[in-house]
Amino acid sequence: MSKVINTESKDGLIIIYTDGYLNKDLGEEIQKIAYEHIEKGELNFLLDLKQSNIVNSIGASILIEIIEKLQDVNGNLYLCNLAPIIEKTFNIMGLTKYCKTFKSQSEAIEELS
Amino acid sequence: MSSTFDRFQENLSSIKSPIEIISLLIKKIEDNNSKCHIILNKPLKSLSFLNNNIKIKEIDYDLILKEKKKWSEKYFSNKFNLELSKTKYKNTIVNDISVGNKFKGLIYICFNKENSNEILLNQINSEISNLIEKENLRKKINEKNNLLKNKTLEIESLFDITEMLNSDENLKPLFDKILYFLISLFNASKGIIFLRDTNSKNFNIQSSFNYDLSKINNRIIRDTRGIHKELKEGFKSRIINNPKKYPLLEEGKLNCISGPIISDKKLDGSIFLFDKESRKGLTTFNNYDLKLFDSIIKKISLTYNNLFLVHSLKDSKKMIDSIMSSISTGIIKINMLGEIEYINESASSIFKIDSESIINNHYAILFHNNQEILDILERAENSSHIFYEENLKINTNENNFGAVNLTISPVFDDGINSGMVVTLEDLSNINKVKSTFKKYVSESIVDELLLNENSLELGGVEKDVCVLFVDIRGFTSMSENLEPEKVVSLLNNYFQKMINVVFKNNGTLDKIIGDELMVLYGVPISYENDNQNAVNTAVEMFEELKIFNNKIKDEGLPEISIGIGINFGKVISGNIGSDQQMNYTVIGDNVNIAARLCSVAKPGEIIISNSVHNKLTNSQGFNLNDPLSLKGKSKPIKNWVMKIS
Repeated sequence: MSKVINTESKDGLIIIYTDGYLNKDLGEEIQKIAYEHIEKGELNFLLDLKQSNIVNSIGASILIEIIEKLQDVNGNLYLCNLAPIIEKTFNIMGLTKYCKTFKSQSEAIEELS
Repeated sequence: MSSTFDRFQENLSSIKSPIEIISLLIKKIEDNNSKCHIILNKPLKSLSFLNNNIKIKEIDYDLILKEKKKWSEKYFSNKFNLELSKTKYKNTIVNDISVGNKFKGLIYICFNKENSNEILLNQINSEISNLIEKENLRKKINEKNNLLKNKTLEIESLFDITEMLNSDENLKPLFDKILYFLISLFNASKGIIFLRDTNSKNFNIQSSFNYDLSKINNRIIRDTRGIHKELKEGFKSRIINNPKKYPLLEEGKLNCISGPIISDKKLDGSIFLFDKESRKGLTTFNNYDLKLFDSIIKKISLTYNNLFLVHSLKDSKKMIDSIMSSISTGIIKINMLGEIEYINESASSIFKIDSESIINNHYAILFHNNQEILDILERAENSSHIFYEENLKINTNENNFGAVNLTISPVFDDGINSGMVVTLEDLSNINKVKSTFKKYVSESIVDELLLNENSLELGGVEKDVCVLFVDIRGFTSMSENLEPEKVVSLLNNYFQKMINVVFKNNGTLDKIIGDELMVLYGVPISYENDNQNAVNTAVEMFEELKIFNNKIKDEGLPEISIGIGINFGKVISGNIGSDQQMNYTVIGDNVNIAARLCSVAKPGEIIISNSVHNKLTNSQGFNLNDPLSLKGKSKPIKNWVMKIS
C-alpha cells in the first residue's frame, strides 16, 4: 500500500519520503502534509521518491497543484531519487519545468542548503 | 481642461491587464463612495484578487437566463441576499456581463450621486467581459494542453512498451514491468496478470499490483469456468462493469478492464486492471481506455508468443548443446559460405581451439594446418555426396599430431543444400590404448576389443583356454658364461622375436617368468582355431629361433634351445592379485599341465596334450608320445610330440 513513510525538517527543507504507487491517494497525502507545513510558513519542500517506482497522471497532477500553491506563496517543491519511468512521466506532464530535480537527497541538500 | 474621467481613461490606456483596469475602476467608484457588486455564474479565480468591495457570488445561470427580463434591484437584493439598499445610495445600476452572446453574470453598482457615470459602468462592464473571455480562453488552453500532455504520455507509453517488449528479459521481470506500465498509463488502482502453465494448463499469477492475493492463492484457475472461460470464448478485451460477479475480480470496486493474451487461438494468459482513478476519486474505464488497452494487449500477446518461441528455442539449443557436448565425436556445421556456424566441445578439443573465436569464420582458418582436410572439404562443397576418410593424420593448432576418422556430410533444408556437417572421431586416445595394449596382445585382438566391448569379460569366469609355455633349455648354465648385459640383451632380442610370433597368431602374452613365456589363446577373446593358433605359434617359434640362432652365432653368442608345452582345458580367468597389484591371468589345473608338458619337453620338442591334439585341424608332425606321469597327477597324461630338427 502506498504511503508517506516519513517527514523531516533538514537544512531548511521539509523532506517528505514516500513509498509505493504515487497515485491519487499518495498524492493527496503528500498534498495534505505540504499544505499543513505551508500554513506554518514552511515553504521549501523536497519530495524523496526513492521508494516509489510507479506513478500515474493523477498523482502527477496533484504535485502540480502543490507547486501552484507554493508559487502563490513564493515557495518551492524539489524532487529527488526519481525512477526513470517517473522522471519521464513528470517531464511529459510538464512538472519538471516548475520544480528542480536531483539525483539524490544528498545532492539536493548540498545545493539547496 | 480634461475631466476626471478623461484623465482616468488616459490612465487606463497605459494599463494592459484587465485585472488592473478593473481594480482602478473599482477604486474610482470607491473614491466616489460607491459600491460595486459583481455576480458571476462561475467565480473567476483571477477576480478573487480584486478589492474586497467586489462581492462575487455564484448564481444559477439557467435561472438568471429564464428570469432575465424580470430583473430588478429588489429582485436581486432578495434573490442573492445582497446587502444593498437603494436607500443608502442615490443611484443604482444593474447590467449584465456577456461574452459573445453568452450571459456570464451581472454587475451591480451603487452610486452616491444622482448622475451615475454610464461610461464608467460600461467600461467596468467591458473589462470584466474581457477578463472573463480571457479566463475562459486560458481554461480552454489549459484543458487542451492537459489533453495534449495525456496524449503525449500515451504515445510515449506506446514507445516505451514497444521497447520494453523487445527487450531480452525473462518472463517474470518483463511482466512486472508491463503491469506497472499499464497501471500507470490507465491510472488504475490495482492489477493482476495470469499466465497459463504449459504443463498443468492452469493459470498462475505472473504479476500483481495492490491486489490482495490471499483470496486467490489456493484457487485452481482454468479456462473452463469464470472470467477465463469468457475471455477464451470472446478473445477480446472488454470492460467488466460487474466485477463482483467473478471471484477473481472481487478486488474491483467500480469496474475492471480485461484483456486476453492469445496465441494460436489459445488463451495463454490474461491481464486485469481495476478501478480507474480520477482527481475526484475512483471512476470507470471508458471505451477510449478499452480501445487503447486492446491495442496494447494485442502487442503483448504477439510479444509473449515470440518470447515463448525464443525460450523454446533457447531450451532446445541448450539441450542440443548439452547433447553435443557430451558426445566424444567432434561436430562442425559449416554454412553455404564456408563459415563455421557451430562447433562442439569435442571438435574444439581436437583442434585445441576456443569455439567462440572460430564461430562465423571460414573453415580455412580452422584447418589452415590441415591441407588434406581442406582438399576434402573443397571436394565436398562441389558435391552432394558423403565423404569419409579413415585414420586421417591431423595437425592441431598447437602443432601436435593426431588422427581422426573424418566424415563430411551435406546438409539439406527443405531440399536445398545449406552447407556441410563435419564429424571427427578422435583416434588419438584409441591409438594410445592400442599402442599400450599391443605390448600384451596382438593388434587384431586390440581392434576386436575396441570394436566390440562386449567381447571383453573381466572377472573370475571359467573359460576354455589353450595355454602355451616356452622355456629356454640350459639357460642358467649359458648365462653363467656371459656378461649380464649380454644376457639381458640376448633375452630381450629373443623375446621380441618370440612375442612377434605370438601376436601374429592372436596369442595373448600372459607373463614372462625368467626365461619362460606364458601365452594364452582364447582370452580375452575366443577364436574357433585357438588350439591351431597355439601349435602354429610353437612351430613358427622354432623357425624364428633358427634364424635368430644363426644371427647370434655370427656374433659369437651361444645358440638358444627351447622346449614348448601346450594344453587346452577349462581355466579360471580374471584379475588376480592384491589391491596394490593385480594382473589379468588364468589359473587352474590345466595351466599347471601346460607348464609340466613344457618342463618335460626336450630341446626342439613341442609336446601337446590330447585335448589340444583333438582340436587341431592340422596335426601333421605330431606323434603319440608315451603317457607322461606328471607331478600332482594320479593318472598319466596322454600326449603328442613334434620334434623339430
